[in-house]
Amino acid sequence: MKKSSIIGMIIIAIAIGVIVSTYADSSTYGSFSEAKETQKELHIVGKLNKSKEMVYNPQQDANYFSFYMIDNKGKECKVEFTGTKPQDFEKSEQIVLTGQMSGGSFQANKILMKCPSKYTQDKIEVTEFKANKQANI
Amino acid sequence: MDIQFAGEHLLPGRIGQFFIVLSFGTSLIALISYYFATVTKDKLDLSWHNLARFAYRLNLFAVIGIGVCLFYIIYSHYFEYHYAYAHSSKTLPVYYIISCFWEGQEGSFWLWTFWQGVLGCILIVKAKSWENSVMTVISLSQFFLTTMLLGVEILGVKIGSSPFILLRQAIDIPIFSRADYLSLIQDGNGLNPLLQNYWMVIHPPTLFLGFASMVVPFSYGIAALWQKRYSDWVKPALPWALFAVMVLGTGIIMGSFWAYEALNFGGFWAWDPVENASIIPWLTLIAGVHVMIAYKNSGHSYFTAIFLIIISFILVLYASFLTRSGILGDTSVHAFTDLGMSGQLLIYMFAFIILATVLIIINWKKLPITKKDEDTYSREFWLFIGAIVLVVSCIQIIATTSIPVYNKIFGASIAPPINVIQHYNKWQIAFAFAIATISAFSQFLKYKKTDVRKFLISLGVSFVMAILLTAIVVYITQIYQNVMYVLMTWAAIFSILCNARLLGDAFKGKWKLSGSAVAHIGFAFILIGALIAAANNKVISTNNTGIGFGDEFAKNNNPRENIILYKNEPTKMAEYTVTYLGDSTSGVNTYYRVNYKVINPEGKVKENFNLYPNAQQNAKMKQIIASPDTKHYLLHDVYTHVSSVPLKEDEHDDHEGHSDDENYQKPIIHEVSVGDTVRFRQGFLVVKSINKDATIKDIPLTKGDVAIGMNLEIEANNAKFKAEPIFLIKGNTKVDFGKKVDEAGLKLRFTNILPEKDKLELTVYEKPKEDKRDWIVLKAITFPYINLFWGGTIIMIIGFLLSIFRRAKDVKTA
Repeated sequence: MKKSSIIGMIIIAIAIGVIVSTYADSSTYGSFSEAKETQKELHIVGKLNKSKEMVYNPQQDANYFSFYMIDNKGKECKVEFTGTKPQDFEKSEQIVLTGQMSGGSFQANKILMKCPSKYTQDKIEVTEFKANKQANI
Repeated sequence: MDIQFAGEHLLPGRIGQFFIVLSFGTSLIALISYYFATVTKDKLDLSWHNLARFAYRLNLFAVIGIGVCLFYIIYSHYFEYHYAYAHSSKTLPVYYIISCFWEGQEGSFWLWTFWQGVLGCILIVKAKSWENSVMTVISLSQFFLTTMLLGVEILGVKIGSSPFILLRQAIDIPIFSRADYLSLIQDGNGLNPLLQNYWMVIHPPTLFLGFASMVVPFSYGIAALWQKRYSDWVKPALPWALFAVMVLGTGIIMGSFWAYEALNFGGFWAWDPVENASIIPWLTLIAGVHVMIAYKNSGHSYFTAIFLIIISFILVLYASFLTRSGILGDTSVHAFTDLGMSGQLLIYMFAFIILATVLIIINWKKLPITKKDEDTYSREFWLFIGAIVLVVSCIQIIATTSIPVYNKIFGASIAPPINVIQHYNKWQIAFAFAIATISAFSQFLKYKKTDVRKFLISLGVSFVMAILLTAIVVYITQIYQNVMYVLMTWAAIFSILCNARLLGDAFKGKWKLSGSAVAHIGFAFILIGALIAAANNKVISTNNTGIGFGDEFAKNNNPRENIILYKNEPTKMAEYTVTYLGDSTSGVNTYYRVNYKVINPEGKVKENFNLYPNAQQNAKMKQIIASPDTKHYLLHDVYTHVSSVPLKEDEHDDHEGHSDDENYQKPIIHEVSVGDTVRFRQGFLVVKSINKDATIKDIPLTKGDVAIGMNLEIEANNAKFKAEPIFLIKGNTKVDFGKKVDEAGLKLRFTNILPEKDKLELTVYEKPKEDKRDWIVLKAITFPYINLFWGGTIIMIIGFLLSIFRRAKDVKTA
């Protein structure tokens, strides 16, 4: 057999390995109800419930932050995160959590948020000169 | 009805828009005339050729014109333009105005167009017989790029996005019906603080020069197929390919250094999709360079070479599609938002894919592909294998980075791996091991045929030496926890030793291979540096005092990586005694002074330094943007950033509905006489005496007015203070003037006189407990041996430079 065919076969084998590994390592987007039924870690997309309290009290524990999130299916759950509170968390439009359910609350190990950043959104701040008041449009 | 808007500066925008149309037109003319100059039968007829050259040069002029207009608009703070409004502000220092250019998509497209224009003009001078065909391809690419800036609608389809669009055209809100709307817009949105860093001034131009220069070897490849000059494209394309690899590599590492110095994600590489998008074409082009050399010297691997050179540029286009279409939104923290140009980007990419595929199919039978097998002990064989390993490593990165693309195409909802870094590392360490090993021994192989005995003998020494050195390095750097780490360290050391021997020969006169030897040594150092720094970085700010969590939780979760530091209270962190000493504000940044001391057991201070991690407090946005500060040692770094700080704004907020008293707890009213003692949480105070002739600054007392001061002595926090709140009866009104004792967190008011009880009323306001001390929440990480990573980069760049000079000389002598 030609050497190039052997190499070709090895490449195909590794490529299959890569695809299988990507598939095996990949996670799924789920909801809180699904998280309750599985021990696996998963991604949950949702929104912050701004009417419920957020707890971050660095004097007590600099690495504990909890809040309530409503997932895309409308279910609400308490989320606990071992870390500091992301500073503009209140402003987040969408949150992607990774983690798993544990005893009634969702233990997040990563929070990715999408913010209506002033650097991407067209929000104009108008300063009225005379009245010296600020208004947002 | 047309409104005459006051104060707008429309001229620079019109000139700019004219230049955009000019650049579009000239690129089209250059494309057409270079095409006819290439296909014309009459080789003496230079009219197409001359027209094409003129058009391409005019194109570069127009592109520069666009840049000048845009710069002028941003520099003059003409906020009637959307780009200036969205990306700059009046307070921005001049040198960061350059960074505003590439904060937006339009500006970064401009940068790419500019570099492609410059490279094209260099090729006009240098490419000789290749000029017409190569420049046709480059003009085609330039044509696509200039459409990205057009910003016109044709048949209802928006083509490109112009940087000269006016604010009132971009956004539809009522104020724009006012003729004087500009007087209401005092300042722009400003530049993202993360980009206000000197690395951000030079990182994007370098990266885009790298991306742009990849079009050159690609064009040579396409031109070779088109003109049926199958073999001789390799020589002139090689220095360009090396140049692209060098510049893109430098740009990527600059970005990594920027992330390390200015961002707070705690590292230099995070396998973020945006980072991956730039490293993918880099890896394929490196592979391409190696097989080009193999083909040049042995005639083997022709197809691999041309395929890799072509695919590298296609992957550049794929990378810009990924980062600019908004498709990465859920998986990356720093992709551009969608400007509605993803369709255009896809057309650009597929146009070149189809062009390349068609040309390859047409010419397939005639391509100089050898039917012979390479000898196992030949350099060309191992260059080929090395390239294949790089390609496979690339496939792995693409496979995972493209997850959002599959989701889009197949409507699936696959999430990326939970632990992304581990997912990539487990594959990439294995590939890096293979690459480093091959780059070591193949340097001792010769083209065509090698004397196996000689080869094994010269290899054996380095092999054994590498094992010994690895044992030492692994012991010192403590990376024995993982077999793969040890193997990779060995491979990198092996590569350094082998290439160093080659370099030794170079000093004896064989200069030819010195460039590759130096570049490989640099690359091996990068691998070791990255491995040790990534594998053994340690969060030293671990905190185990938190309450509310059981031990069970701590076992299952990541260690608590943030620690709270109270002002002037030393805290032990690994070998450091760390104290937060205070903060100072300069411009928009607040710098937190954090002192690190190493005290040896005898109590002597061995090391003592301050770090100033900073945070931009943006009161309006209620957010902080933290940037780290790092202490660099020769062998390791101590990296520190604040993860949470008290927001400052509230202290100054004195507008309606709020009063200063809100900063205090509920007041306590005491009825006292002289000599009484009043206790409060932090200490006590004694009523010393009554001052019947108290005076109040700025208020003249007339006859009949009574002003009484209460002399108080306060003892709190082991210190004594004095205060004299005053009670005033002026005419019929009672007023009192409280006194604040900030050091004790107190406000004291003499609020009434109670003659019937013969008592005085003292109201004590005390600050809540939390506020009494300043604090910051800090994260600190040590990165061991990270200088190997940066140092290796510099060595690798030197190696590339040497190789470029050598290959460029080959072109001249040929």
